[in-house]
Amino acid sequence: MFEDTHVLDVLPAYALGSLETEEAGRVEAHLLSCSICRSEADSLRAVAEELAFAAPLAAPSPELRGRLVQRVRSGRSQQPAAALAPKRPFIERLLPAWGVVSLFLIVALVGFNFILWQRLDQLEFTTAAGMRAVPLSPADSASPATGFVLISADGEDGALVVDGLAPLGEDRQYQLWLIRNGQRTSGALFSTDEKNYGGTRIRAPLSLLEYSAVEITIEPAGGSPEPTGAEVLGGPLRKP
Amino acid sequence: MKSTSDYTQYADEHLIRLIARSQEAALVELYDRYNRLVFSLALSIVNDRATAEEITLDVFMRVWQKADTYRADQARVSTWLTHIARHHAIDILRRRSVRPDHAAVNWEDVTFKPQSPEQDPQEVVELSLRRERVHAALARLPADQKQALILAYFAGHTQSQIAEILKQPLGTIKTRLRLALQKLRQFLAEEQASHEKSAEPHSAYNMTEEE
Repeated sequence: MFEDTHVLDVLPAYALGSLETEEAGRVEAHLLSCSICRSEADSLRAVAEELAFAAPLAAPSPELRGRLVQRVRSGRSQQPAAALAPKRPFIERLLPAWGVVSLFLIVALVGFNFILWQRLDQLEFTTAAGMRAVPLSPADSASPATGFVLISADGEDGALVVDGLAPLGEDRQYQLWLIRNGQRTSGALFSTDEKNYGGTRIRAPLSLLEYSAVEITIEPAGGSPEPTGAEVLGGPLRKP
Repeated sequence: MKSTSDYTQYADEHLIRLIARSQEAALVELYDRYNRLVFSLALSIVNDRATAEEITLDVFMRVWQKADTYRADQARVSTWLTHIARHHAIDILRRRSVRPDHAAVNWEDVTFKPQSPEQDPQEVVELSLRRERVHAALARLPADQKQALILAYFAGHTQSQIAEILKQPLGTIKTRLRLALQKLRQFLAEEQASHEKSAEPHSAYNMTEEE
């Protein structure tokens, strides 16, 4: 089994991002459970990141500084740069409604119906605009918990919707972890309502396209720097 | 509100915390420190100044919007910036589907060239040192390994694509990339050790030579 074999030989290419998608997925799966390879991957990635300094030194035009300030002041980046794909097609509009929105509304906005929702545990789908909905599975197969992660085409925005997760007391919350190269980064902290529904925006330092999987754990209210509770829901963000 | 100059003494991580609290001057200070690093990297990837400037703006706007998600235990601020810049630039390349000719940048000139303060008056000392070390380490790599490394890092090509471009067997490219990064790690460590040795007090000659 690939997962049982160290992947040290391909880690340099992995660190450079030059593995084919399928192989990179297998490496990431291995890294989740192998601290030896994870440590080597961290070391090689640090070396690869230093290559940024190999670029011949150049300076942007002096006007760029003013343009940055202008963009910050003009509605805090309502206008994405020309180089970026249009952002936040509708996740942003969707999010203010989390407090009252029902799963039905979410699914309707995405453009799918309840029949499709019932099949979500087997199905990942992509909208015409390139947004993906990735299904999550419970860690305990007897659990009714389900959910999905919505990721915009450019990976800049994401949202989580869960169903079947019982509300926790005031002292605990659910926390979503984004996994990349075995490292877990907090992406959201949320609670569920009396109908066991919940939803939240996902925030991450990197594009969501760079993470290989998500996990949801139960943590003390306010969240933890790293997972301390058992996983209740999770799944890969990329196809293996 | 503080003037920008008040922020120059702050560590990068502290600036990020201030940016997370929407302090515009902290963002400007971070921009002053790293705009050349980000722009140089973006330009080397897309080979177009206007696009590289847009990427630079996007990187700093991303920091403005997502500073609260930065985790100091996972990456240095400079690494976070270059990581975002590289992925954004390569994403643009892929969407264009036409890659620039990386021969446009004379990578053979990536050799150890200490930069005098006159050449680079604004770049902080640490960045200059890291640049020197990487250039020196790269200069020690065999040309074919350096070429594969550059096609992977600056063009975002996969191993198969590099094999096709260089008309070499895939196994050869896999070996080149593996050796290249492993050697680069070793050379960077040696350059670091060499620098630390030369920075010792008895090595005053080396320190004054570059001034």
